[in-house]
Amino acid sequence: MRKTLPVEDLARDERFVRVPFTARMDDPRSARREEAPGKGRRGPGRLTPERPDAPDAARSLMHGIFMGEIQALEGAGRTCWDFEVGKGTGEGTPEVPFELKLDMARQCWDEARHCEISAKLSEHMGTEIGEFAENTFLYEAACNPDPVLRLTGVNRALEGLAIDVFNTMREFGEIAGDPVLEFCEDWMLADEVTHVKMGSDWLRRLTADDKARQQRALEFQRVVDKLFSLGGFRGDEEDSPVRLARRFRELAGFEDEEMETLAEVAREARAELEARVEANRAAVQG
Amino acid sequence: MADPKRPRAPFAPWDRRELPGSFTVEETARRVGHYKWIEMRLFEALGGWVATVPELDVKLRLGTHCYHHAWHADLWHKRLPELREMDPDRLTVPPNDELVAFVDRLTEPEAPELTIEKLVGVYRVLLPAKIAAYTYHLNNTSRITDAPTIRYLGFILQDEIEDWRDGEMLLQSLIETEEELRRAVDRQAELQALLLAAGGIAGPGSIGEPYVSEEEQHA
Repeated sequence: MRKTLPVEDLARDERFVRVPFTARMDDPRSARREEAPGKGRRGPGRLTPERPDAPDAARSLMHGIFMGEIQALEGAGRTCWDFEVGKGTGEGTPEVPFELKLDMARQCWDEARHCEISAKLSEHMGTEIGEFAENTFLYEAACNPDPVLRLTGVNRALEGLAIDVFNTMREFGEIAGDPVLEFCEDWMLADEVTHVKMGSDWLRRLTADDKARQQRALEFQRVVDKLFSLGGFRGDEEDSPVRLARRFRELAGFEDEEMETLAEVAREARAELEARVEANRAAVQG
Repeated sequence: MADPKRPRAPFAPWDRRELPGSFTVEETARRVGHYKWIEMRLFEALGGWVATVPELDVKLRLGTHCYHHAWHADLWHKRLPELREMDPDRLTVPPNDELVAFVDRLTEPEAPELTIEKLVGVYRVLLPAKIAAYTYHLNNTSRITDAPTIRYLGFILQDEIEDWRDGEMLLQSLIETEEELRRAVDRQAELQALLLAAGGIAGPGSIGEPYVSEEEQHA
């Protein structure tokens, strides 16, 4: 088995369909989707039961969570395999401490449970595997050849997004009167705080004597964070569909300053998406 | 109530634990180092395979089992300093080159259509060998002096047996044709031969010395 499995080779059964993230963003039909009658409002909006499209939006989000959990499982598994055991403090050296591998194996177990929970919840919410497309940007972040950048991108940026998403879904379950959803999301949220804390701790430990590498890792995290802000889908605004879960991020080792930066990154991503949608609209009308 | 001052034996009448055991401290440390080495190779491979298997149920079980074997590796890692090995890496080694060859072959398959080959190697060859070696150790070490190892072996064997059952059931559900059955049998034979050459997960003596009859002994 090779070290580092390219994203094209991720194994899936026939139900799964992949759509690249860029293809989705560049699709002029996104402008029409934004104006679809059931959507209720243009642009992003907080997920509440009152929204006319709430059931579809929640099911779509649930499916996205399920796909994310599969790729998180695969990414953590690859980190167990891709690197040799060593001190892991060398620049770009493909080696990691034994204890880091143990953390990744633990994460495999957690993500496998999350896949099981998400599959059950998807059924509970009336969707099925393959109903929505899969995009693979999560696994792509898990292919970084430097283990520190990989962990920072996946465990801090991606799993950080998971904290925000699970907190949103947990709140949605609470206000929608769905105790099953609320219960499950709360349990997954607990695991995600652990995973993000793993990322924070390993970033600190492995770059304690290498500030340049730490900066590169944090820069990679910013890039991934911007991508994962999904055009303002996740942000700190009142109408952000997924809001920053500041309290849980703090438990996971995020500083206030980092959360402010993240909120700013999300605002930028939202502005860029709105500009793109406007361009798509002009293309459709033109 | 009985007189609290009345002398009682240190071992209750039903407690049949005996001294000594079959393994010295050094021999136990050597075996434990080999156990840690094989557990590491196994959890790394299971983690790597998760992304390569298309079958969803298999994918999720591999993720779960990956952690089980990582936890076993961690238990053995922690046991080594208690056995006077302060540099656990020194003994985290394979018993011989033949076991390395076995592991290399075991972890070779990558293509998505090779799930049977991946699972046979783990669940029909390696896990039974681990269960055998761990059981031999459990039954032959001193239940008094080596109680910490025995406690770990108990936890580990419970995982191994449950994981073996999971893997075997997955395999039985995947093997539907004679051709698939032939693939499984061929793969098992190939890997079993390599493991035989290695003498087991801890090398020759993994499950005790070869049986010698009384006649042979006196010949």
